[in-house]
Amino acid sequence: MSKTIIINGKECVFDGNKTVLQIARENGFYIPSLCYHEKLGPASKCRVCVVEVDGIRNLQTSCSTAATDGMKITTDSPRVLEAQRMVVNLLLANGNHNCMICEKNGDCELQDAAYHLGIELPAFVVEEHEDKDDSGAFIIRDGNKCIQCGRCIEACNRLVVNEVLDFGFRGGHTQVVCDGNKPMGDSSCVQCGECVQVCPVGALIEKKAVGKARSWEIQKVRTTCPYCGVGCQQELHLKGDQIVRVKGVEGAKPNDGHLCVKGRYGYDFIYSKERLTTPLIKKNGKFEEATWDEALDLVADKFKQIIKESGPDAIAGVSCARSTNEDSFYMQKLFRAAIGTNNIDHCART
Amino acid sequence: MDASIKKIVARYPDEKSAIMPVMQHLQRENKNFLSEDAMDQAASVIGCSKSKVYGVATYYTMFNTQPVGKFHLQVDTCVPGFLHGADAVVEHLEKKLGIKAGETTKDGMFTLSRVQDLGSCATGPVIQVNDRYFENMTLAKTDALIEALKSGKEPENDPSMTVISKCGVLLNDRTQKDCRTIAFYKKNGGYQSLKKALTMKPADIIEEVKEAGVRGRGGAGFPAGMKWSFLPKNDSRPVYLICNADEGEPGTFKDRQIMEFNPHLVIEGIAISAHAINSKKAFIYIRGEFNWIADILDAAIEEAKKDGQLDNVDIVVHRGGGSYVCGDETAQIESLEGKRGNPRVKPPFPANSGLYGCPTVVNNVETLSSIPYIIQNGAAGYKKFGNPNNFGPKIFGVSGHVNKPGIFEYPMGTPLKEILEAAGGVKGKLKGVIVGGLSVAILTAQEAETLILDFDSCVKAGTALGSGGIMVVNDTVSIPELALRTIEFYHHESCGQCVPCREGSLVIEHKLHDLVHGKGKIEDIDLILHLTANIKGLTLCPTGEAFAVPIQAMVTKFRPEFEALVKR
Ligand SMILES: Cc1cc2nc3c(=O)[nH]c(=O)nc-3n(C[C@H](O)[C@H](O)[C@H](O)COP(=O)(O)O)c2cc1C
Ligand code: SF4
Ligand code: SF4
Ligand code: SF4
Ligand code: SF4
Ligand code: FES
Ligand code: FES
Repeated sequence: MSKTIIINGKECVFDGNKTVLQIARENGFYIPSLCYHEKLGPASKCRVCVVEVDGIRNLQTSCSTAATDGMKITTDSPRVLEAQRMVVNLLLANGNHNCMICEKNGDCELQDAAYHLGIELPAFVVEEHEDKDDSGAFIIRDGNKCIQCGRCIEACNRLVVNEVLDFGFRGGHTQVVCDGNKPMGDSSCVQCGECVQVCPVGALIEKKAVGKARSWEIQKVRTTCPYCGVGCQQELHLKGDQIVRVKGVEGAKPNDGHLCVKGRYGYDFIYSKERLTTPLIKKNGKFEEATWDEALDLVADKFKQIIKESGPDAIAGVSCARSTNEDSFYMQKLFRAAIGTNNIDHCART
Repeated sequence: MDASIKKIVARYPDEKSAIMPVMQHLQRENKNFLSEDAMDQAASVIGCSKSKVYGVATYYTMFNTQPVGKFHLQVDTCVPGFLHGADAVVEHLEKKLGIKAGETTKDGMFTLSRVQDLGSCATGPVIQVNDRYFENMTLAKTDALIEALKSGKEPENDPSMTVISKCGVLLNDRTQKDCRTIAFYKKNGGYQSLKKALTMKPADIIEEVKEAGVRGRGGAGFPAGMKWSFLPKNDSRPVYLICNADEGEPGTFKDRQIMEFNPHLVIEGIAISAHAINSKKAFIYIRGEFNWIADILDAAIEEAKKDGQLDNVDIVVHRGGGSYVCGDETAQIESLEGKRGNPRVKPPFPANSGLYGCPTVVNNVETLSSIPYIIQNGAAGYKKFGNPNNFGPKIFGVSGHVNKPGIFEYPMGTPLKEILEAAGGVKGKLKGVIVGGLSVAILTAQEAETLILDFDSCVKAGTALGSGGIMVVNDTVSIPELALRTIEFYHHESCGQCVPCREGSLVIEHKLHDLVHGKGKIEDIDLILHLTANIKGLTLCPTGEAFAVPIQAMVTKFRPEFEALVKR
């Protein structure tokens, strides 16, 4: 049965179990949120998503408040906005947020919150800056922009289960650490980039994207990762025809935003000068460029000849792990039905 | 795995809980230093990631992930220490040892640190040397201490203070040498209540405790019987009882009086309560600094077991690692599960999902220690002490500017004036009193004049009884400096999970620091009030309120003192 809550006077209908924040988003109300991520669930830590709930004295975090039928919510009262502004101001006060040169500019949840709340400059400033960690092959960590939301930690431990990240230290000194506080490059991190994918701010960024493009110059193209048969869904960020970075597509099957290090960062090969662009046929000990027709005819002739001389079992096929299920299916069909052998295997099994 | 580590792990239903005791053990074995190797060893014993171990080790202040001197001198300069002159001790030590606080002498003998509240408020200044306390320190005694340590002698501690028990329920006669023994305890009627309770139906015990109206002594004053009755019925999961002995609220040093001198009382209280809530396993979560008291409890539990008193429940003493927030019940549960002491979001409440996701009751030492008396004398006997809705005996601790600081077991509802008189009267001219531990609103001398010390009267007077830790402030003290000490404590202790507490306490600390050092502006005072007003009720756990309330009260009630610090 459908239920209804009232947000700022508007009736919002919903089904099942939902939080106030989810329903507000579905109905076009903006509530700033920083530690909440759809994939990770509520953390209730940043306290920026607070709203008034009729009948409850204290402001409530909308990301963790389950909506109940008839609930009345206010998201834009002076009291709510004052609390939200304070939270954002506090975060800006103790970080180093210079949006002008930040990779996240235009795609940052903290910047969005500040924008919507009309915060031009932090109301108070406390400076304590730390060094960046750029020891990782593909990821730069900038503690000065970290808001200790914990999303990266949850993702590393709960989603990809690499168990590299955790919070170290306490209180105002709390920071994200790799293993026993090692530079990322010396740690057990596999550079899968899931932490970067979920970070709401510019505290975790792609090394290869630095200085390549502003967020508004980017065109996003959805595609399937070419590396393996899982078929992860990718969102390529392009400037012109150049890839600036690769993101996983959130909410899409099969990967729900996850990618492995190859899928996320191993895209340089497409620009390699050494890349093969036509088939090559070895003639007199040297490879020479050929057309697909030439190449396929040659292979077919050789296959036929071998079958005639030595029978079909003299041929074996190994299918590539980068092929899709469908391609692998055709490959075995080709070997069993057309060539007539059971000598067919897959590289990931060998 | 070596045998001693195996033994530690075996104490817990879940091996993850052993992470802190294992690290404490490894640190003790390695000159008080928790090396990277030790942390890796802990990770493999417990079966968790290195970052998790590192996160736990660096959350708690008592793990030394950097080497320290042979003697780690830790001077408590939190509010009560400050009132008792601890800063002079630090300065004296800095001169004497030729190092600054936070440094180690070249010969590796001494490390000097300023630390937060050590729970020795009436006997300040206090210096903790490794895991021993030296109380009532003067500069001369400090010199003697250093000489003794240098020459390898065993220095003496002087923990003397005023001890008065009008009720005689919770405090025993500590002047008797054998006051801790089970023989002494039983001679005075001990373990009779447990015997009686074991013949009673659990529901009847809960009814009696409800009828007695005992309100939790941990600070919030929640009725204990009611808390117990929230446990789910007909549930197959085990029920856990946790005795909260974290005693971290500055100004509070009452629970240790029971545990150190009358340990069997709290043990009997736990055994009865465990029977009432059908718990087979109980924990005493004691702050790590009270290591010697934990040893006393361990020994007393052994004694009680041998005497056949603990057949219905297994009690494990669990030492904390140095964290105020772990006094909060959900943080304590996390900590006991071997994690960083971050409070949990409520609901679910511990009664439904607490330790290891099982029904759990957390009660304060003093609360549980009242139970034997209630069973023996009935609710009616208990209600002879105190006022309606505020019954029972209460231990008040008085520190700061009184002539005879100490510990006072008086009925609830005693006027503050009477307690202050018992503590030898105010030293100098009274400026303000904080009656419930540092997290409550300060009262001006005038407001304090007529205060009645019970939960409801304190709320009416605009403050709270909290833990009953009374700190007396005379007119030699600058309130802005007191406020700075206050916020330094909470900023140091904030778990760091949520923004208003983690960052709010930092900004308030900076602004108060500026004001106290003559660099403040009038706007800073308003900013502090703006922050405290908004932080209240906005944080994940009550810690935000615990500093917003006292800071707001100090600034509003003594605003001219803050304004006077602003250069025009
Ligand atoms: C930050 C914080 C620190 C606390 N510290 C203590 C403590 O040291 N001892 C204690 O008994 N309760 C402490 N409490 C209260 C506990 O959460 C809990 O309410 C109490 O132990 C329940 O026992 P009671 O009902 O017997 O009072 C603290 C609460 C908070 C929020
Ligand atoms: S992290 Fe966000 S708020 Fe901070 S500098 Fe970058 S874009 Fe700006
Ligand atoms: S890149 Fe992957 S493995 Fe490395 S810290 Fe991030 S989430 Fe963990
Ligand atoms: S690095 Fe990013 S995701 Fe991780 S805690 Fe900091 S802000 Fe959050
Ligand atoms: S208020 Fe927040 S940061 Fe402070 S102790 Fe509680 S949970 Fe931690
Ligand atoms: S988004 Fe709700 S508390 Fe952070
Ligand atoms: S990746 Fe191509 S054969 Fe294995």
